[in-house]
Amino acid sequence: MSKTVTIVRNVLEANERRAASLKDYFAAHKILCLNLMSSPGAGKTSLLERTLVDLKGEFKMAVIEGDLQTDNDARRVAATGAQAVQVNTEGGCHLDSSMIEDAIGVLDMQGLDILFIENVGNLVCPAEFNLGEDHKVSLLSVTEGDDKPEKYPLMFHLSSVMLLNKTDLLPYVDFSLEAASSHARKLNKDIEIFPVACRTSEGLGAWYDWLRKARASKR
Amino acid sequence: MHELSLIQSIIDIIREERVKHGMNRVVRVRVVNGALSGAVSDALSFGWECLTQDGELKGVALEIVDMPLKVACGSCGLAFEPEDKHYMPCPACQEILGHDIQSGKELYIDEIEADV
Repeated sequence: MSKTVTIVRNVLEANERRAASLKDYFAAHKILCLNLMSSPGAGKTSLLERTLVDLKGEFKMAVIEGDLQTDNDARRVAATGAQAVQVNTEGGCHLDSSMIEDAIGVLDMQGLDILFIENVGNLVCPAEFNLGEDHKVSLLSVTEGDDKPEKYPLMFHLSSVMLLNKTDLLPYVDFSLEAASSHARKLNKDIEIFPVACRTSEGLGAWYDWLRKARASKR
Repeated sequence: MHELSLIQSIIDIIREERVKHGMNRVVRVRVVNGALSGAVSDALSFGWECLTQDGELKGVALEIVDMPLKVACGSCGLAFEPEDKHYMPCPACQEILGHDIQSGKELYIDEIEADV
């Protein structure tokens, strides 16, 4: 005899459950957790290097670095003096909540103000996996196309902030800050947009102010 | 590419439900995939084929129901089905911003058919 059973179970429920318990953990410890996402080479690690150095005196910060292979990024970040732990996904295209749980076990979370999670460079898959973060932050560089928010809508739809990096290269590329911003706002009208150049530090002040505000609201 | 991990989650859930409901051989599994879920139905089918080549789910049919995107206008509240996922002008008031997504984000296992 055959029978059909109605299940209705979310395919990502295991990840969602873990993400919810991470969110509780971050709330209880008053840690601001940010999930940083972009394509490979947009400047996630450079942004972190700048931020960790410039805000060193204000906040205690740590970084979880996600990459397919190597601990190159964790070493770059650790050179700023911040705590860093590398997660290698061994070919996986995104971080999931169980990887964050493991990484937190390695970090000293005592008195931490901000935890940055640098996701695997990829505009598609990381957006689907919540990690218990307070905000998703997406980074787009002007050497990519300004229609990226249109092509990869989910990530920009879910992000609280979009940073447009490498603005020092604007004279050499056909990238319109206005077009990229308007594509992103179509998906998410409240998204905060900050044009920055990590190489020259231009525009980073606005990003730091946003961080201060976000951090203050977790206290 | 993350469809493979999604299929692995689907297989884990099927295993749990099989035990819970005392099912023997699974015959068919139905999954609902929303237009905005980020998972591509073709890639899900392919992932299923790859991960069920052997073992207890070998030969089991995976049925995927594609759920269209439905939104309520951010300005006038009209419910409509946008033709385009990226540019969604409201047919009544032309508003393009702030729509509330009512369906299309879901990805869930709807039902399992099995011998008992």
